[in-house]
Amino acid sequence: MNSPVEFDPYDYATQDDPFPGYKALRDHAPVYRSRKHGFWLLSRYDDVLAAVRDAKTFSSRIITLEPLTDEELPPLVITSDPPDHGRLRHLIAPMLTPAAVAPLGEDIRQLTRRLLAPLLPSGRMDAIVDFAQRLPMAMMCRLLGVPMEDEDDLRRWTDMAVDRKDGVFTTTEENNLANQSIYRYFETQYQQRLADPAPRDDLLGRLMAAEKEGRISHEEFLGFGYMLALAGSETTRKLLGNMIYYLWKFKDQWKLLQQDPSLLGSAIEETVRYNGPTHMMGRLVTTDITLHGQTLKRGDKVGVLLMSGNRDERKYTNPDVYDIRRNPRDHLGFGGGLHACVGAALARLEVKIAIQELLHAIDDYHVIESACTRTHSPQVRGFANLPIEFTLRT
Amino acid sequence: MKVTFIQPDGKEQDVDVNPGTTLMEAALFEGVPGILGMCGGICSCATCHCHVEADDFGRLPAAAAGEIEVLDGLEQRRPNSRLACQITMDDALEGIRLHVATGA
Repeated sequence: MNSPVEFDPYDYATQDDPFPGYKALRDHAPVYRSRKHGFWLLSRYDDVLAAVRDAKTFSSRIITLEPLTDEELPPLVITSDPPDHGRLRHLIAPMLTPAAVAPLGEDIRQLTRRLLAPLLPSGRMDAIVDFAQRLPMAMMCRLLGVPMEDEDDLRRWTDMAVDRKDGVFTTTEENNLANQSIYRYFETQYQQRLADPAPRDDLLGRLMAAEKEGRISHEEFLGFGYMLALAGSETTRKLLGNMIYYLWKFKDQWKLLQQDPSLLGSAIEETVRYNGPTHMMGRLVTTDITLHGQTLKRGDKVGVLLMSGNRDERKYTNPDVYDIRRNPRDHLGFGGGLHACVGAALARLEVKIAIQELLHAIDDYHVIESACTRTHSPQVRGFANLPIEFTLRT
Repeated sequence: MKVTFIQPDGKEQDVDVNPGTTLMEAALFEGVPGILGMCGGICSCATCHCHVEADDFGRLPAAAAGEIEVLDGLEQRRPNSRLACQITMDDALEGIRLHVATGA
């Protein structure tokens, strides 16, 4: 079927503002086939939810849509299907429940204050570079049990690993080099710990113990390091950056939150719904399936557009309104089903404390929009620079 | 191994579950309606809330504090409420029956 809609998530112009395109897809091509790249896109809430829930039909063996290269990645929980998926995920999920992460709150608060203290007197900061990108990676280093001074290296590599060039539908040498750097880093950490057998109660320590017990392979150990470094930092940074941006853009919402800080939990859910960091995840069709009259064949690739689902008028009233009182608990911003974001509770806690501390310190602020820049990826979307000027509370 | 999910309309669905798999994961994989599993098993969303049949409830290991906290926030909370994501299949649970609790 000829589709009147053209949508290319690899195009930087699309990434700059994908929402009009999402709406066109939902209204005119809910099962869209990219003639350029060959993959399908699902954009309506119901279809996206059905796809992420149905791991049998929609395999996670691929999570990006580019043609596969020779580059062999170690097995990752995020690219596994049952039963391997459960075996891997169960190792870390109990450490990331709301109850399990709650005791980290005091650490997160101290770290947040330490980051903010030198920034506050100047009345300006880059909310990403100086703040939002540092907090999650520093926390992840602490959880993994790797030196805090490695934070900058890990962040540089994870940024390089997800970066995509304008309109380019392949992974690049730069992506591969970044991936290799991350794996080498965790191999080095592994070897250092072998040399120093004192048991350590951190994520890497537990994963090494699981490897020793034969529950995971060494490649799976490295894969966990890779995934936690990547997913545990850059998405939370983007979420925090987006929240700072939208609370400025819709200033009445900042004022509302100042008046009633108990809305913070709801405000975080609304930010993840309205424009959370993860826009698209890839899936591989395992068996022919017909949706809205279109047949997806076994072996076809599908991008599920989580953020389009979150803006679906069929699901939410006034979906394009950012309303921190909405408290959407059923949004797709953390995905859903077996592969739903395993770090969601930690992300929520970090963002909650970060915004609490900003509310505590700052009266009003202004985003210098002309100086904002974005990262580039068809899958994750957010700011690379977010300069703000602010006045302190008196 | 097998467990049975029962819908509010009484319709029953037997689901094969491998040991070590959670009942939420098995329900999702077999497409049991009403088990949404939105949070993927981190014990935060309650969209896998079930009422375990009275005879079977005692066969389950006790719920952890974090699960009880989530359950206590639910309208349909009953003494036999559990989150399917927090129940890991083993030999002792063969054949248990769970009623899908709609609306979390």
